[in-house]
Amino acid sequence: MDIGLTHYLSVAAILFSLGIFGIFVNRKNVIIILMSIELMLLAVNINLVAFSTALGDMVGQVFAMFVLTVAAAEAAIGLAILVVYYRNRGSIEVEDIHLMQG
Amino acid sequence: MIVQGLVFYLFAAIVVVSGVMVISARNPVHSVLFLILAFFNSAGLFVLMGAEFLAMILIIVYVGAVAVLFLFVVMMLDVNFVQLREGFLQYLPVGGLIGIILFVELLLVLGGAGVTVEGAPANALAAPMPAANVTNTEALGALLYTKYVYLFQAAGMVLLVAMIGAIVLTHRTRPGVRRQNISDQVGRRREDGVELKKIQPGQGA
Amino acid sequence: MDIALTDLLLEYLPILIFLGVAIGLSVVMVGGSYIAAHQKPDPEKLSAYECGFDAFEGSRAQFDVRFYLVAILFIIFDLEVAFLFPWAVALGEIGVFGFWSMVVFLGILTIGFVYEWKKGALEWE
Repeated sequence: MDIGLTHYLSVAAILFSLGIFGIFVNRKNVIIILMSIELMLLAVNINLVAFSTALGDMVGQVFAMFVLTVAAAEAAIGLAILVVYYRNRGSIEVEDIHLMQG
Repeated sequence: MIVQGLVFYLFAAIVVVSGVMVISARNPVHSVLFLILAFFNSAGLFVLMGAEFLAMILIIVYVGAVAVLFLFVVMMLDVNFVQLREGFLQYLPVGGLIGIILFVELLLVLGGAGVTVEGAPANALAAPMPAANVTNTEALGALLYTKYVYLFQAAGMVLLVAMIGAIVLTHRTRPGVRRQNISDQVGRRREDGVELKKIQPGQGA
Repeated sequence: MDIALTDLLLEYLPILIFLGVAIGLSVVMVGGSYIAAHQKPDPEKLSAYECGFDAFEGSRAQFDVRFYLVAILFIIFDLEVAFLFPWAVALGEIGVFGFWSMVVFLGILTIGFVYEWKKGALEWE
């Protein structure tokens, strides 16, 4: 019953795979895709903190803090783009976003 | 030790189950709520790993701000969410395949190669864990603002760009809105508003 | 797991007990009323009460985009405050350099604050 590094890494691996899976399955709904990205970043954070504890090295937690910052900024800007897109096009389907293909 | 193990399995199970619900819930509002649950329980995992400060920040920033932002957007957009789920079954095989392949690969890294950190030399560590009488927050602060000052300033830049980007993208000035201009109000003098006219009796204005 | 971590987790034990009691109590209350009460729903009972009428439209009223802008700006400043906590705790160790690095950080964000003020993003109407 001793919980070690491998246990935390397994949880993080499951979460990361779930995030990838969510992106592929919800191909139409940008909001769920953004939430899946949040899940993946959470898995990355769990990895960083787990190694930080296992190695006895604080740097992992420092970087987890930066990942948190970037993730929050990413969510804010991503949702802002989503709102603008919805205002212009009236839908949030990813398949409609192909104007850049020319 | 036993309690610690049980609590770990409880938190881990809830994190995984709510992660599944995030990507499979029919109603996106439920997805957001399950995302909040996942964040709460991973904050519990962080506490178990001894990263108290990050656990609290996870709750404050994610549950308090990011999840609320998602909730706002879900409620702000008038979208037929049932229609958006149409491709779910169509993409299920390929998505499941890729997810399972990735997961098996990650497990191979974990189990096959065997992640061992016990033998890591102590002098290779960038910043060793502090003594027991120094709190987690203090140890984080001692590193963040001096050794990693460039990254810290870069984080500030990222926040600045996010702030400006959000304003540029979503802010619209509404024409024809009347505002109170206090300096004009206070700076108004008697001569600007009142005019005295001497009117001779019997002549009218 | 070393000794220091176990000590730290012992400090969180009351919170765990509190969580357990709260969840257990709420489950007992909801489950108890579910089991003990008579459950005999019929359409009349489930319909709107007396003079209340059926809803005309969904309860999902639309939000204005302006709320969203306020929420984004809140996230940014929330993170700024999150960076202030360890700084305040460790100010004795990091000295003058740490102090000024935080001042520069706050200065960068003040530029953004001035920008949003001038742009009128803080005004409601």
